Amino acid sequence: MKIRSDILRIYQAVHTWGGICAGMLLFIGFFGGALTMFKEPLDRWVSAPTVSASPLAPAQVDKVVADVLAAYPAAREEFTLHVARHENTPAPVSWQAGESGHEIDFGLVRWQATLDGQGALAVEQVKPSLLAQLIDMLHRTGGIPGTLGEEYFGIYVMGVAGVLYFLALVSGVVLLLPTLVKDFFALRAGKNRKRFWLDAHNILGITSLPFHIVISLTVVVFAFHDQFYDGLRGIVYRERPMFVPPAIHNVPGDATKLLPASELVRRVQQQAPGFEVTELLYMGVESPRPIVRAAVASPRHVVQGAETGFVILQPYTGDILSTSMLPGQGNTWSAMVAPFFALHFGSYGGVTVRWLYFVFGLAGAALFYTGNLLWIEKRRKNQLKNGPLPAQPLRTALIASATVGVCLGSVAGIGACMVAAKWLHAFNAHANDAYPTVYYAIFLACVAWAFARGAARAGRELLVACAVTALAIPVTSVAGALVPALNMWAHTSPATLGVDATALVLAGLFAWAARLAARRAAQGPADSVWANATDAAQAAPEAVRKVGT
Amino acid sequence: MSAEMGDKTKRAPIRPDWWGKTFAGAVLGATLAFALAGIFAWAGPGGIAPPDKSQFVMWLIAPVWMTVFGFVWLFRSGMLALLWLGGANLLAWGLLFLVRG
Repeated sequence: MKIRSDILRIYQAVHTWGGICAGMLLFIGFFGGALTMFKEPLDRWVSAPTVSASPLAPAQVDKVVADVLAAYPAAREEFTLHVARHENTPAPVSWQAGESGHEIDFGLVRWQATLDGQGALAVEQVKPSLLAQLIDMLHRTGGIPGTLGEEYFGIYVMGVAGVLYFLALVSGVVLLLPTLVKDFFALRAGKNRKRFWLDAHNILGITSLPFHIVISLTVVVFAFHDQFYDGLRGIVYRERPMFVPPAIHNVPGDATKLLPASELVRRVQQQAPGFEVTELLYMGVESPRPIVRAAVASPRHVVQGAETGFVILQPYTGDILSTSMLPGQGNTWSAMVAPFFALHFGSYGGVTVRWLYFVFGLAGAALFYTGNLLWIEKRRKNQLKNGPLPAQPLRTALIASATVGVCLGSVAGIGACMVAAKWLHAFNAHANDAYPTVYYAIFLACVAWAFARGAARAGRELLVACAVTALAIPVTSVAGALVPALNMWAHTSPATLGVDATALVLAGLFAWAARLAARRAAQGPADSVWANATDAAQAAPEAVRKVGT
Repeated sequence: MSAEMGDKTKRAPIRPDWWGKTFAGAVLGATLAFALAGIFAWAGPGGIAPPDKSQFVMWLIAPVWMTVFGFVWLFRSGMLALLWLGGANLLAWGLLFLVRG
């Protein structure tokens, strides 16, 4: 397909500037997003084992609920009944004081309740793992601190990055169209390094284009949905209601007359055959509008939440109030909206799709990384044959350092948080309080390192740091399992072992990338920002000689 | 919208006009998307009443806005982008006020 050169020139500019402005933020978004595919295994991996009570019979669970509601007024506002119990949710009932806001509360304290050996209520104060929430926050904000209104400021920045990302996609496709057939799947690994990176960049982009279009559009919506709804309310709907509130039961409920939880689960299962009920969230049981939000999971359905669909019930009558978030049973409109969410969250097709999204997420991160590399390579001054090394423009060196520091810093920071969680426990500290410190300390240290050492050395060294951090994750688990005196642990459920195994694989990938970067720095063209010579004295005589060989 | 304009003046290269076109795509693209979503809300299937339709209407805004924004640099000049998108906005908003009553 032929496209006029003036159009190509303009879209080339859109592509490079959109990409370079949003690339690093999108790298963090994609790397964090890939990890959030396995939020639950991550939280299970990092949750210290507790002495788990023997499984309770349904009647015993109902007794826990009744006793908790009688003794703890905060639970009457909201509590969770964990039907599916894992390492991170060992007790059947948990609640917290006050509402949780949009921001992560790293000091969050919850209570959990079960029955002790004598059948009496046993309540314990716990700090639930916030690791997955931390990663999710980094995914949504890029780690940009601060709030704007009730929302993280970083979410809006990420929304703008989403706009630039979409523009970069459109312009990237426009640029590729004229040579699509010729270039598609041609990975030319010859002498021309730039060609190789461009081919790799194009293959990554084109093969996952639908995924990227979906992600960019949903990022824009997730960032600005409040503004979109406000706009629609002001100009389109005006006094008409945009949402139907759940029915009001005029008589405030009496918490002692709640239906047994097992009965609610039974009704949900009747309504949603083939789904697993994972938890019941009770809200305002003594208010005029008591509801239970039952989370239902199924690998075979497109669900609207990040992990589950929902059924809304009335906890006193067991009436089903809403199935609009239950796959296949909402009305046409909610059924048409569900895929938008599911396509972003990868919450369809069970574990297979989660792994697929994990790979796409990492590939996306690689797309932005290679994009930045291309930008840098394109702007370097070439060395004339037998000429001296040209001084490279400062801005390419700075962008190169920033790319290396920010991208690899976010990876090392997240890895360090995971490792720190178990070691802090060994020293009787709780990781939640330390997560922000650990993440930002490592992240900023990596960025500083990248600027101090220059992109070529720092790229290699930070890749080694990422590999070591990733390797420390399974090593810590092994240490916890072998040396109980360390007061650490290693869970043995497949999901948590998967976390260790994945970290091991990633450690191998980072080590391999570090080797490639080292070879590149030593043997690649000396006039590249990725060559050792550029970092050292600009015209190191050795490097000049090396070019001829 | 710009393909036919391109035919008339095959030789004149497109001017980048970064400020004008980017403004047209970012702002006029957004207002156009709101108006089109609003028209769909009132005149589309089911009218304004169905519960949960507002969610779908909200989801329409970003794709329309982004599509306009993505292709706005195909206009021959920033002025033409402003004129065409401004005109489309007038039309869409007029239609919205008409169907909204």
